Amino acid sequence: MNAGEGQSGVLRLSRLGRAWRAGLVVALTALFCAGSLVGNDHWWPFSPWRMFATSQAATGSVWSTGIEVRTADDPNTWVPARLTPENVGVNRAEVEGRIPQIQADPARLGTLAASHARLRPGSAAWLGLRVVRHKIIVVDREPTGEVETDVLAEWSAP
Amino acid sequence: MNRLASWLFTPMPVARVAVLRLLVFAFVIIDVLFLHTSGWYHGQADPVWYEPLVMGEMLHLPPASVLLVEVLKWGCVIAAALALTGRAPRLLGWTVAVCWIWYQYVAFSYGKVDHDRADFVVALALLPTVGLAHLSDKRRSEAAGFALRAVQMAAIATYFLSAWAKLRFGGLEWVNSATMVRAVVRRGTPWAEWLLEIPFTLHWFQWVLMAAELTAPVIFLLSEKWRRRAVAAWFAFHAMTYAAITIAFWPHLVMMLAFLPLEEYANWLRARWGRTRIGRWWSERGLSSGAEPPGVSTPASRPGAGVG
Repeated sequence: MNAGEGQSGVLRLSRLGRAWRAGLVVALTALFCAGSLVGNDHWWPFSPWRMFATSQAATGSVWSTGIEVRTADDPNTWVPARLTPENVGVNRAEVEGRIPQIQADPARLGTLAASHARLRPGSAAWLGLRVVRHKIIVVDREPTGEVETDVLAEWSAP
Repeated sequence: MNRLASWLFTPMPVARVAVLRLLVFAFVIIDVLFLHTSGWYHGQADPVWYEPLVMGEMLHLPPASVLLVEVLKWGCVIAAALALTGRAPRLLGWTVAVCWIWYQYVAFSYGKVDHDRADFVVALALLPTVGLAHLSDKRRSEAAGFALRAVQMAAIATYFLSAWAKLRFGGLEWVNSATMVRAVVRRGTPWAEWLLEIPFTLHWFQWVLMAAELTAPVIFLLSEKWRRRAVAAWFAFHAMTYAAITIAFWPHLVMMLAFLPLEEYANWLRARWGRTRIGRWWSERGLSSGAEPPGVSTPASRPGAGVG
């Protein structure tokens, strides 16, 4: 598919070589544009490039989701735990996106405790796990220092 | 139409593709081992968290398992390490592409897509189309020009289409929203916390960012000198973003290198290396790689080799 080296010392493409490349560019452009116009995250790699694309109200609250656990070392105290792939197999955004499912079936949180036990076999077992949402109050784009915390779902080991 | 075609197929140095491939494959190894490891951890997550993407539904891809993530991770590393040799560029290049894309799919099919990693798919898919490319090949080719142009376009589309996404999902009011405040509150480093005390800085930054992203395609109209300055400005922007909220669009940064005369930098480095004591010792023993002139002895330098 190569037309070979021309007199100018430049390697030229054949007509066919040019045609399929041009067709590919048109197809990729169409897919990326369609993803940006009407697609969603499920279209990856043609999903919209929505890094920080949502509008956060200048006055309101910034939400930050986390987890708290009761461990076998201290079964009566809730302590914050890291909501990271290294600790529970999934990350914060992945849990934030499933809050309705978690609230409908809090037993799903038990799978995070099981993953933690596999990933951190030397740590104390988790006997309870709850998802908390911190609301950081912002007025005119400035955090006031006020934080409200809600418990969204809770699971205890049977 | 002819002008568009000649722009799309502008002959560019074959050696530039060789250098960019080295950087891309080296990046793949670093990426799967150190930078983007959430896919591996999904092998440890319960399948209840799996949420197939369109790609997974079409190809019937299963949820992650420990075996699958290990195969994909080490498949990426081994294929990329072999691809670094420059041999079998299509076979190895597309093997890397399949492994890396599948590994990203595993990472993204648990409810969170990282939106900065799509353009790298274009680099992995199209750089192998150039065929054999040697570091010391002095020729230019239309196939190299096309691959580099496609990588450049995908990288710049990332900026323009992310501005479009802000308008689509955030609306015109995005520029006056507290989105950057939210980012710094949630992920801010000590370097960035002072920004919260002077809220107009983050507010203005949103206007500047929107303007820069919407006008990003202008880079193709600039002179070479200003094009390099624009690339430098984008790198400075990404460095600031990393310092403020520890988010870096690593694969995209590799893509942006397609705008630079990489083969000149490589030649300069090789010349410097050749002047060092170890470099002289190395070349005296015939250990120097890639020093043969094109058109003489290397497979890549056969006229037309692997192009098409």
